[in-house]
This record gives sequence, structure tokens and C-alpha cells, in this order.
Amino acid sequence: MPKASEINNMITVTNLRKVYNGVTVVNVPHLEIRKGESIGLVGNNGAGKTTLFRMMLDLIRPEAGEVLSKDEVVAGHENWKTYTASYLDEGFLIDYLTPEEYFYFIGGLHQQSRAHVDDFLNGIADFFNGEILKKGKYIRDLSKGNQCKVGVASCLLQNPELLMLDEPFANIDPSTQFRLKSIVKDLNKNKGVTTLISSHDLNHITDVCDRILLMEKGVIIKDIATNSSTLTELEEYFGVGQMSSFASVKVDPEENH
Amino acid sequence: MGLIILYLFLNLFILGLFLNDILAKVFPKEHLLVSFCGIIFLYFLIDLFLRLQLQELPTLRVQPYLQLPIKRNSIVKYLTFTGLFSVFNLWPLVLFVPFIVKIVVTDSGGLAALAFIVSLMGFTVFNNYFALYLKRKSNLNGWIFLIAAVVIILIGLSDFLWHLFSIRQFSYLFFGNVITRPVLALVPVLLGAAMYYLNFLYLKNNLYLEELGSRKAAKYKSSTEYPFLNRFGSVGDLVANELKLVFRNKRPRSSFIMGLFFMLYGLYFYTNPQLNTDVARVFASMFMTGIFIINYGQFMFSWQASHFDGLLVSKIRFSDFLRAKYLMFTLVSAFFFVLTTPYVYYGWKTLLIEIVMFLWNIGVNTTIVLFFANRNYKRIDLSKGAAFNWEGISGNQWILSLPLLIMPFVVYGPLALLHHGDIGLALLAVIGVVCIFTRPFWIKKLEKDFYTKRYTIAEGFRNK
Repeated sequence: MPKASEINNMITVTNLRKVYNGVTVVNVPHLEIRKGESIGLVGNNGAGKTTLFRMMLDLIRPEAGEVLSKDEVVAGHENWKTYTASYLDEGFLIDYLTPEEYFYFIGGLHQQSRAHVDDFLNGIADFFNGEILKKGKYIRDLSKGNQCKVGVASCLLQNPELLMLDEPFANIDPSTQFRLKSIVKDLNKNKGVTTLISSHDLNHITDVCDRILLMEKGVIIKDIATNSSTLTELEEYFGVGQMSSFASVKVDPEENH
Repeated sequence: MGLIILYLFLNLFILGLFLNDILAKVFPKEHLLVSFCGIIFLYFLIDLFLRLQLQELPTLRVQPYLQLPIKRNSIVKYLTFTGLFSVFNLWPLVLFVPFIVKIVVTDSGGLAALAFIVSLMGFTVFNNYFALYLKRKSNLNGWIFLIAAVVIILIGLSDFLWHLFSIRQFSYLFFGNVITRPVLALVPVLLGAAMYYLNFLYLKNNLYLEELGSRKAAKYKSSTEYPFLNRFGSVGDLVANELKLVFRNKRPRSSFIMGLFFMLYGLYFYTNPQLNTDVARVFASMFMTGIFIINYGQFMFSWQASHFDGLLVSKIRFSDFLRAKYLMFTLVSAFFFVLTTPYVYYGWKTLLIEIVMFLWNIGVNTTIVLFFANRNYKRIDLSKGAAFNWEGISGNQWILSLPLLIMPFVVYGPLALLHHGDIGLALLAVIGVVCIFTRPFWIKKLEKDFYTKRYTIAEGFRNK
């Protein structure tokens, strides 16, 4: 048993495996995420990113292995819920509430008064860009991008120590993407929040995250600290099929003489 | 729901079988055929009214095809034609064909009977497309629905209240002549065809999703609060959310409204001398005070399927989640109980039995419902309406209804048979109260049970 006073790992994954219909969709023998790290998760569709997230949040049962949050098993425990905020998809939102009602509800779960929630909402008015509050709409009537804003904002409202977002950049407009990036950076650098974000946008992810995990068919095949060459490295990985076929067309020796 | 529809059809069919006896009783002075011909238009008027409220527009089925290289005409034909697939179109046949076979065939011959059936089908098709047309129009302008409803009601009133004209005479005028001149059956067929064509033209000119959709023009949605729930902390918040779920979504709302209709059960049971027994009262009282628990609770937690993941990762203890369910059932049942108190008019015993069954409902039935909720893995899409919606229905509901309906009689029945009915009532009350006071124990049990099933539940709810 590790000493409670010296917990440095936010998330520890050991021998985690998930199988659907005989296909292994996640297989992570070992992964440690230390407190205060900012992790970017990249990989093509079906690489197992969301499934990994879901297992970290105890939403699906792994075939083997376990996830520890602050050295406590996630499955069957509730303690991690007090410091973990996550938004994976619209299924996390109570969609027949107005955004205000939803924020008050989430705030209430964390013993925050309405005034406190109002203060918080004023603080991120920029991020909402006037499209969320006092619009007289239920969350289900908002566009996907605006629903994403509600989800992200409700995460921030919880003052989490661990923030998990699944493809937050996918549906939001460019201005919001930039605002979200600076919010996440600020949380990580200045408030010490551990962030775990997946994205298909390599520019954004290398900009925001200090450490990139690259998944392929359920396996983390690369675990790299972000530096100036990371983006090119990732672009090469994702563009590899295309590049070589281009190349083969261009330098076809038969056509060249 | 499935069984309810089947049950409705069975009722209709039996009604149809005995229609001749019923008509003979209601209109003893008239010839059977005359009164039968008379009620058909009346039926179609009510049918139109019901269709306006309940029939769903077959719209979204075409959405995936709109951008594909399929001819507009084929899409429109498909859309118009699928409008025919509605249970409403079976009702007139189930109701009237037995009579036609029994009476018309022997009375006026096969050709007349055939003409009858053909005209019935013609009017059905006409009503079907007329209702759809009005509904489509009223999607663009809500007043149309109101005007149509008012016109139908006015027609009804001017017959039965003001006696300006008689729908039955009109009806007889047509169907009476069909017997002698079967060719007339072509008239409703032509009417039906014309309505079909009108729909076809309308859809062809308005093949845009926003105009086809069944979504009404958006109203400003304001936030609501239930201040009296604040004292319960986060359990109160959960109850507030669930009450909003009930009142802001069609299907759960109609299960609540259905509860209001069940309040009339008392009028039927308490005034009927044959049912003037305590056993019947136990039955009626259980339904009146517990209808919401049964009707809404049978689909738990499916109502929350669309955001169940969010609930699971939120800082909500499942025990609080359960406490909220108990609190909500208690509040809503108390509301229905208060509504039934005027039945004290039928004697203090009536009120006493209602109190006993109220205690039983919030004590025992809530726990049974929640026990079965842990075994329910079917998703319900809240955005869909209530009428003939089969979603979320599984064997669970049938199994659940057994203990709900039988348990009180297992306790009460034997004692009532031995003429110790009052002891039976006392026993029901005691068991109810004991269960209320031991709720923390049941919550713990249910929580434990939930933890063994939560992955299956969550996964079932994710399956669209």
C-alpha cells in the first residue's frame, strides 16, 4: 500500500483490458499520470480513446485490470467523483433543463450557493459568447457546439483537480476553441489541475498538452513529451499512408525518363 | 403499453360483437340497421378528434433519403403512403365488421355488406389523411389545430346540445342509401383518394424538414424552482430535476395526467352497488393513490437513460439518488391522495381505506418498483410522444405488475374471506408504515443491488 501522504499519481492504470465481441479495444498494461500533468490523447476513430475514458470514469467494466485515482480503485468507489470533472458527450447533460438550472444543480452537488454559481457564470461570459444563458432554451434545444460549452463550463464550475474532456474542440467555433485552449492552459499551469483531453486536432492538442499519448487499436503506441518536433512527428504518423502513396506516384522511375 | 393496446383492441372487438345488442338497448324504437347507419358518422367525427390529438406524423423516416439521389416523387409517395400505418385505421374495422357480418349480410345481402366495408375504409382513409393534413398545417400555424378542434366540438354541440341538426340523420341518409345503391360506396373512396392526393401535393411542395417536423414553434423556456424542496439539500435538487423531467417531456407527463384520470375510478367503484365492498375499495384506492408509482415507476430508470452516464460520474451518491426517488413518489402520491379525500362523501371507511392504501403504496410499492428498476436496461427517448410508444417496454413491466397487484390481496384477501377484513386493513397499514420507517435499510439493499448491475444498466441505456 502506498503512503497516503505522498500520492503523486493522479491516475494509475494497470493491465487494463476491454474486449467487445472478441476484439480487444483497449489494452493498456501500464500508465501513470502524475498530478499536474496535461495529457493529450490522440488516435484514429476506434483507437479506444473514449473507451479508455469511460473505464477511467467507472462507466464500463474492464475485462481485466484496474484504474486507480489517487491510488484508490475507481470501480465501486465514489471518492474520485468529488475532484474529477468530465465531459465526454451530450449524455452527460440533463437535456430537459435550462443551462442555468443545470449549472445550479451541478453547483449544488458541490455545495455551492446560487450566488457563487452566478459569479462563476459571469466570469466565463466570454466563453459563452452570449449564446447560452438567458436564451429561453432547454439544453436539448441548443446546438451541439453550445451543448459542449455547457458541458465544459459545468466541469470548470466543479473546481476539479482532474479534468477529462473527450474531443472538446470537435463542435465548437474557432473563437471558442481558442478560449477553451487558454482556459485549459491556465487551469493546468496556474491552478495545478491535471488535464486529460482527447482530440483529432493535432495543432490544438500539441499546443495545450505537455505529454501526448498516441493510441492505435487500443494500445498506447507512443508516449511522448511535447516539444517543437512533436507536431511533425504526429503528422507523419497520421499522414503516413497518404505520404507514401504520393511519394510513390511522384518518383515512379518508369514514368520519369 | 403493448398489452394495453391489445387489451383495447379486444375491448373494441367485444364491443363490436355485441354492438347489435347495445344498439337495440340504446335505441329501442328504431330498426337496428337505422341506428347502426346513424352512429357511423358520429364515430368518424370522434375518430377525427382523437387522431388530431394522438396520431403521429410519419416524418423523420424520410430524413436520411432527402439528400440521396432518389426522385422527389418517390419520397413523397413513400411519405404519404406510410401515413396509412396507424392503429387508428384498424379501429373502425374491428368495431364495425362484426356487426356487418352478423346483421347486414343477413338483412341486406352480401353486396350491401361489401359496400358498407368499402365505404368504411374510404372514410377511414379520408379521416387519416385529413387529420395528417391538419396536423401538418398546424405545425406551421398552431391556430389551425385549435380551430379544427373547436369546429369539431361545435359540430358535436350543435347536434347534442342545440339540436340544430342531427349527425345521425346525415349518417343514415348516406349509409341508408348505400344499402339500396351499393355504388354510393365509391363516394367515400373518392373522398379518401382526393385527401390522399391533397396530402401528396402538400408534401411535394413542402419537402423541407423544418416544415414537415412535428416540432412546434419554440416558446421561451424559463427556469423553474421548487423552493419547498430546498430543505432536502441535494436529494431535493434531484427531486426537482425529476419533477421537471415529468412535466417537460410528453411521455412522462402523460403518465402523470393519466393518474388524474384514474381519480375518477372512485366515482365508478363507490357508486356501483355491486362493487360496494371493501375488497373493491382496496383495489380502487391502491390505484388512485399509487397510479403514478405504477405508471411512471415501471419504466425507471429508463426515463433518465439519456443522461445516465452524467449521473454516474457526478458527485451524487446512489443512496441519495434512491432517497430522491422515495421522496418524489411520496410527494406525488400524497398529492393524489389529497385529491381522493373528497370521496369521504361515500363514508369514513372509504377514506380510511384510502389512507391505508396510501401508506401501502409509499411503503411497499415504491420499494418493489425500485427493486425492478435495477433490472431495467431499456433506453427511453424522452423526445418521443406517449401515444403507442413501445420504447422501453420489456418483460420487466409484466413481471413487475404481478407483485404490485397481488401483494395487497395476499395480505388482505384471506383475512377478508374469514370476515376479519378490518384486521387485514390494519395489517396492510402496519406493513406500509414499517416499510416507511425501514427505508434506510431498503435503500442500502437497493444500493448494493445496483452496484452489481450498474454497468449493464448504463450500457443498456447507451444503446440507442
